[in-house]
Amino acid sequence: MSHNLHTAYEDVSPTYKPGKYFEIDTSFIPAHQWPSTMIDLALSRGMEEHKLLRGTGIFFEDIATNNLQLTPQQCFQLIKNMQKHSHSQEFSFLLGHQIFSAPAHPTTHHNPTTHHSTISHEKNNLHNSDNLQQALDVLLAQQIQWMPLLNLRSVYEQDRLVIYWQDACGAETTQIFLLEMMFTALNSLTRWRSGESYPWEFYLTHKKPDYIEQYDVHLNSNVQFSSQTNAMAIARDYLHRPWKINHSDQFASNSPIESHTSTALEFQRGFLAETYTYLQNNIRHNPNLEQTAVDFGMSNASFKRKLKKHHSHFQAQYDLARRDLAIMWLSQKGWTNEQVAKKLHFYDVANLRRAFKKWTGKLPQAIEKMG
Amino acid sequence: MLKHHKWKLFFVAMSANLALIASLAVADLKLLAEINWLDVLSEGGAAALALVWLVLILHSRPTGRVTQYLSLGLSGIFLAGFQDLLDEFIRFPDAVQWDHWIESGCMPIGLYFLTLGIYHWHKEQLSINAQLRKRERLFREHRSMDFTTNLSGADYLRKQLTQTLPEHRHATNTLALLLIDVDNFNEINRCYGHQQGDHLLQSLSELILLSIRRNDLLCRYAGDRFALILPNTGRVVAEKMASEISMLVQHFAYKTFTQDESLFHSVSIGVALTSIDSSTPDSAESLIERANLALLHAKEKRRMAMQQAA
Repeated sequence: MSHNLHTAYEDVSPTYKPGKYFEIDTSFIPAHQWPSTMIDLALSRGMEEHKLLRGTGIFFEDIATNNLQLTPQQCFQLIKNMQKHSHSQEFSFLLGHQIFSAPAHPTTHHNPTTHHSTISHEKNNLHNSDNLQQALDVLLAQQIQWMPLLNLRSVYEQDRLVIYWQDACGAETTQIFLLEMMFTALNSLTRWRSGESYPWEFYLTHKKPDYIEQYDVHLNSNVQFSSQTNAMAIARDYLHRPWKINHSDQFASNSPIESHTSTALEFQRGFLAETYTYLQNNIRHNPNLEQTAVDFGMSNASFKRKLKKHHSHFQAQYDLARRDLAIMWLSQKGWTNEQVAKKLHFYDVANLRRAFKKWTGKLPQAIEKMG
Repeated sequence: MLKHHKWKLFFVAMSANLALIASLAVADLKLLAEINWLDVLSEGGAAALALVWLVLILHSRPTGRVTQYLSLGLSGIFLAGFQDLLDEFIRFPDAVQWDHWIESGCMPIGLYFLTLGIYHWHKEQLSINAQLRKRERLFREHRSMDFTTNLSGADYLRKQLTQTLPEHRHATNTLALLLIDVDNFNEINRCYGHQQGDHLLQSLSELILLSIRRNDLLCRYAGDRFALILPNTGRVVAEKMASEISMLVQHFAYKTFTQDESLFHSVSIGVALTSIDSSTPDSAESLIERANLALLHAKEKRRMAMQQAA
């Protein structure tokens, strides 16, 4: 993922063409994976089935059939419904602990034969990684299967590795839930496999919530709210510390890969994430709406409509892409304001400062490390 | 709950039916013009309300003596009201007296049983309060109750601390806050499923409740972390209680659902006391924060000790 970023400021690289993306209404998320875990949890906490599935268009009976695929929109609605439960604040964290750990007793919806298909083999890889670096490589390569609703990028910044988590296709308010879930998942995985709690630093753009106790318990307190980006970071030393051999896993590492594959595999990433990636990689061409629409193979109006369907618009995506580039260039590359202004096609430094202040609430010189 | 009480409801319905049939058998209907609709409304309303109370009571209560009395009482009041209502539509011949008996007999008997029921209900509530005392301490808020452990959550903890801390500013005694965290709790969820994990938390909460004093309060902070407020407690006693709880948990043989397997656990405990220095009074947040820090230290210490042992 990170190599895409590096190409962004090397003028020799060719124009980045959009890859295959999924949309908010693409059916591709296997319901028997984490959505089913989510439903199990809500039901076990006394939530009624019809309240949980209201407005999702999901029928409870279909989940058991094992070939139901959900759209991101359906997942978002499911999460919104869950959040109406009176003790919903802990759900995202509890789910997080389960995402990367195969339950010893598969839940009732799972048909054991197909459950062992693609995903369990990958779980295997994740579970049998020798260190964090390996686990992250697996996770980055297979992120569409694990959690397609957030897009992951990992970047080395000085002495640490930073993993950025970004909205892939218009999660809106449910993004906080997804971030809590995935941060807990990765924290839980490193804790389980290493036998100690890793000193992750967590950065979240939302304000400190009322239910801070959940962060205390599940993320070990090291959380900064109201940050510039959603990210988690760890010192590089931890990447190669050996992990214990995983004996407890019920699947042997040579378990057969079955031919059953989910349609998820054909996608690069979500529509918003792909737009963002496109904009960042083509920044030297000073991309505009017209050219972007052409490269995405549709008319201006269609492209605008598609962005709107994902609760966004062109300027928002373009600002986001430029903001992250500016932060990276200033803090990592140590570039001057003039260099950044030129790369981002600003008329002068004053204009960059004004834009930067609007994006981040700070002036460019106030940016050091991420925060 | 209602299905446990179906015989009671059946009895009430039968009695009302019998009264209706018997009344129709001996008397004639009144003409429409003779009916006093205001009376119908008030007497019918009273009977209907008695019925609503009966259903609500039966719906929310388990069977038992108190429920028996309450339902007998309300049934009596309902039947009296119902007969009264029938009078409005039916003219009884002077020779028939039993309708008066139903009316005037059922009412006092009903009221007697209802009073008896409420009296015992009151006694019952007092004994339940005594049991709940360590969970809620003088203030009830059913919405903050945690689904898994029936303890109150972190919101309630903060509210309690905010209420109690000012009292401690003037007192000489400190207040202690313990945060109790189950070691390696995620292993249980991972190996046995989260329902087993929930059950373990519930068992542990019962265990801790047994070993604390009358005025202490146990809450579920979040996840596998409990919070224990010890009012008027100094460091020595707080640490003694912490080690007692820790020993209690270590010796607790928890049984899993599926096998006859015993699982043993340990807890790490962080202790924080209110500062005696009145110039820097503690807030709920700062006290919790210090307890969390103390807990992290305790966990680290435990890990070091484990490494040395191994």
